[in-house]
Amino acid sequence: MKLLEYEAKRIFSGYGIPVPKGVLIRAPEEIAAHLPEIGDSVVLKAQVDVGGRGKAGGVLFADAKTAQETARELFSREIKGVPVGATLVEERLAIEHEYYVSIAIDRSSRQPVVLFADAGGVEIENAARADGSVIRRVVVSALLRDIPPFLMRELLGEAPKELAPVINSLYRVFQEKDAMLAEINPLVTTPQGVYAADAKLIVDDNALARQGIAVNRDLSEREREAEKHGFSYVELDGSIGVIGNGAGLTMSTLDLIEFYNGRAANFLDVGGGADQERVMHAVRLVASMPGVNVIVVNLLGGITRCDEVAKGIIAAAVAPTVIVRMAGTNEEEGRRLLAGCGYRMLDSMDLAVRAAMEVAP
Amino acid sequence: MIYGDRNLSVIVQNITGRQGMFHTELMNAYAREVGGRGVVAGVAPGKGGREVHGVPVYNTVREALREHDATASVVFVPAAAAGDSVMEAAHAGIELAVVITEHIPIHDAMKAIAYAKLHDCTVIGPNCPGLLSPGECKLGIMPAHLARRGNVGVVSRSGTLTYEVVDELTRAGIGQSTVVGIGGDPVIGQTFVDALARFEEDPHTKAVVVIGEVGGNLEEEGVRSTSLPVVTYIAGVSAPPEKRMGHAGAIIEGGEGDARSKVRRLSALNIPVASRPSEIPGLIREVL
Repeated sequence: MKLLEYEAKRIFSGYGIPVPKGVLIRAPEEIAAHLPEIGDSVVLKAQVDVGGRGKAGGVLFADAKTAQETARELFSREIKGVPVGATLVEERLAIEHEYYVSIAIDRSSRQPVVLFADAGGVEIENAARADGSVIRRVVVSALLRDIPPFLMRELLGEAPKELAPVINSLYRVFQEKDAMLAEINPLVTTPQGVYAADAKLIVDDNALARQGIAVNRDLSEREREAEKHGFSYVELDGSIGVIGNGAGLTMSTLDLIEFYNGRAANFLDVGGGADQERVMHAVRLVASMPGVNVIVVNLLGGITRCDEVAKGIIAAAVAPTVIVRMAGTNEEEGRRLLAGCGYRMLDSMDLAVRAAMEVAP
Repeated sequence: MIYGDRNLSVIVQNITGRQGMFHTELMNAYAREVGGRGVVAGVAPGKGGREVHGVPVYNTVREALREHDATASVVFVPAAAAGDSVMEAAHAGIELAVVITEHIPIHDAMKAIAYAKLHDCTVIGPNCPGLLSPGECKLGIMPAHLARRGNVGVVSRSGTLTYEVVDELTRAGIGQSTVVGIGGDPVIGQTFVDALARFEEDPHTKAVVVIGEVGGNLEEEGVRSTSLPVVTYIAGVSAPPEKRMGHAGAIIEGGEGDARSKVRRLSALNIPVASRPSEIPGLIREVL
């Protein structure tokens, strides 16, 4: 789950990373009361989860005279379609130089990787695409609590040594907050010292509970509902409902529908070991989507048992045509149950998808 | 076959859980069928002294290994404790840990994999179906009846999609040497590179099917690393960006790792890419 800038900065600050003086306001008139502590020259930053926020008009500068009016202007805006509900008001820093630091997970080495560039800011991604060497990278071990000094030296090169403690603190944040990504761009030097001018933190969805995060804001309400039942669910814009077990097989079913020039209404992976109850909820959820008149259920049993699946399909008793393709653990029992209730069961996913194409509008 | 044969002795961690019990029975049914050793012991803290389908249960991996000479473990421990269980197994001397558990926090996976490496323990998974060498051994949850013994290796990030491909191969009369699911998470122990290196050393494997997904670029890395004939299939050409398609690892981030560009890059290496699973047997025949 992505945290907003002000949330990430609160966490960074707790780890000793200097952040600009700032305050979160939820209405434009709140700004006046805070100016004495923040200063006369401020930056207003919309707290919305969109990339390229600055270019989309989500960041405005102001002074004591224009602050109120600027706040009113920002709160009236939509940033890439997202209304501004809260704004971070910060002191405007006297920036000398901008750096880029980002900690992520390297799939190839299966370990944390720290990325650093001498020229940070909004153009870093384009610059890196044009010339990969502008970003230096070091792979650290997840078993180490700190970045070893020799790796830090390699990372920083000629950049000021005073950045090192900030980068190491960011590495601590990355580890202790179960981050998929912890980033400061730009990390700036000023006459007053080093600051995290922006902050980005993405928490592993599989670790939200132990991080004390109760609700995953990145999911829509329906996706959250689906998650409660143990499904992964994505809505698409076609007419053929899809239920599969396992992400790969479900994706492959969507691809096959596209191969036969059909359009899938959704992606629904019932997960491993789905029982009767969950399958029933899955079938009902997909059947409730407008415009779906046929559902392809494509399940191969491993940890999922075909008899449980068959009972779930039968218990759901939905209006759309349900076309089933199943094989695997307890397959014969599942087959017998479905046949007894008049469901069409086909022997391959190609056949099942083609049968669904005949029913789809 | 790779990772082991019928002489492999196995323990199951969290053998008293629903899935642990169910699949212990299936693994041992398979071992009896092929004359293998199968699951010889189980581990469940606080439940030592019990039996699950005739298999003795111990409190710790160390205790289990004191009584049995197992070298492999299949891990069904719930996500919050699974990383710890892998480290316990590695520490006790297990050489191969197959981690079925899904939803393991990624930092736990990174730590467990790094720790296991220090103890020379090979980790397959997490979030994987395990491995099956037809006629030899089964570690994990793959439905064995779909597979037939033969000389084509299968390595995949997916679970059920792997069964689909195995079913297609078997129906077409093409048997498999080993089928291994390496897991759908962004961080996994054995990658395509590792599995392909093992296939390369296996005299029974003449060609390999590589089954990938959206996210990352490890399929390409694997294919580049081997001299065996390879056929690939990549799931998710119709997947929208920034949406996690079930697996934590199956996400197109920042325009990278999408299936179409993977297919393009693989095709540019002159690797056959199937556009649907049912095309795989035909492509395998061409490369054999």
